Amino acid sequence: MISISPKVLATGSDPLIKSPLDLNNLPPEQVALDIKQLNLFYGKKQALNNITMSIPKGQVTAFIGPSGCGKSTLLRCINRMNDLVDDCHISGEINLNGHNIYNKHVDVAELRRKVGMVFQRPNPFPKTIYENVVYGLRIMGENNRRRLNDAAEQSLRSAALWNEVKDRLHESALGLSGGQQQRLVIARAIAIQPEVLLLDEPTSALDPISTLVIEELINDLKKQFTVVIVTHNMQQAARVSDQTAFMYMGDLIEYSDTNTLFTTPLKKKTEDYITGRYG
Amino acid sequence: MDNLQIGRHISGQFNEDLERVINNVMHMGGLVEKQLADALAAVDQRDVTLAKQVLSKDYQVNAYEVSIDDECTRIIAKRQPAAGDLRLVMAIVKTITDLERIGDEAEKIARVALENFSTSQQYLLVNLDNLGRRVLEFLQLSLDAFTRMDVDAAIKIHQMDDKINREYEALIRQLMTYMMEDPRSIPQVMTVIWSARALERIGDRCQNICEYIIYFVKGKVVRHITAEEMKNI
Repeated sequence: MISISPKVLATGSDPLIKSPLDLNNLPPEQVALDIKQLNLFYGKKQALNNITMSIPKGQVTAFIGPSGCGKSTLLRCINRMNDLVDDCHISGEINLNGHNIYNKHVDVAELRRKVGMVFQRPNPFPKTIYENVVYGLRIMGENNRRRLNDAAEQSLRSAALWNEVKDRLHESALGLSGGQQQRLVIARAIAIQPEVLLLDEPTSALDPISTLVIEELINDLKKQFTVVIVTHNMQQAARVSDQTAFMYMGDLIEYSDTNTLFTTPLKKKTEDYITGRYG
Repeated sequence: MDNLQIGRHISGQFNEDLERVINNVMHMGGLVEKQLADALAAVDQRDVTLAKQVLSKDYQVNAYEVSIDDECTRIIAKRQPAAGDLRLVMAIVKTITDLERIGDEAEKIARVALENFSTSQQYLLVNLDNLGRRVLEFLQLSLDAFTRMDVDAAIKIHQMDDKINREYEALIRQLMTYMMEDPRSIPQVMTVIWSARALERIGDRCQNICEYIIYFVKGKVVRHITAEEMKNI
């Protein structure tokens, strides 16, 4: 029998409840991504204002906020997808393992191998299921059949898709349902063993059951990867994430552990947004 | 009601749902307050009719509890309230449980009016009346603070329970001397003791309601903390 003194309960330091991380003072070994004073401009328009935050390793961090608040922009900064946008200027740092990814010597292809990304709409290649999953490995020069087979199976199992496709690995990926395609894309992203997985509204094109399957998958994935997710669905952020960042008009308004943010947010703007009073 | 800011949701339906449930809590609070006042008056004036009326109305309090509970469950299922809205719904669910129990205690007190007290034993009930008045005031202030979600008032009146507890202990000591002096009075004195106990429990439940107000407004759990810590929240 475990006895807890009432005083301990009242101060919120119940030993049975995992205490939230101190996001402002994370020990360096727990930091996956360290974003420092990040500013981003599309032409003259500033889309991100001085964002500073640390994203912890092996956890799920969600970005929420209204349309145009900069959450997708911030996510895309993490694997330099914004490099492809004309007239986009960035200042500040994003450190992955202590190295600034915006350093001019950084190989962007190598960065994107470490930081995988999954988009809103499933985008499998018009190839077989098997070839989709091993595509990244082939590009990296892996041709050993056995190693490719093992990687494909392991990734599909991690993406909770193996049982559904194991007998049709060599059929076209385009024949899969939307939810299966999205899990295939996740399998493809994790096949190359990235450190960080970015998910940009991964379930917004899916039905509720497929959404729950992906959410369950996200919970499993964090054991191996650091997951950063952008979602329009606040309840989804509440369900899947350990930390939540609320953004509004390019500013990071509040960033704290999800339990706190959804029960006792500190900022009024956050409260208004998550309780549906925004606008 | 200003603290609640209910009318500001984008969803008008959500506003209506919350407003309806809050109005029902107010009605339930009013009913419970009347039940206690009537029970005390029935005992004070030896009014059997009024006492029976209190007993017959308890089902209304119970019905309110069930219906508000049901509405809150629906709100959680359909709206997934967060932050202040979530704390409000949780505070309401807990408050109505305490209100329903206060209704039960009022019923117990009303039963005293149905007991036979000889004229010479009437003095026993006078003491009960004093404690009753104080508890009734505590209930009224708590419900008033709940209506306005007034956290300052809640913190202030939270401490009233200490006074009630002291009065209760003094009353028990006094009643025990009566029993020692005249063992034949034990059945009647015991009846008064049970009622005093009921009043003391109502005080505890009013204190709980104050704690829910503080939880809703400040997001802080203040159960099981000392009076000193309470001052610093």
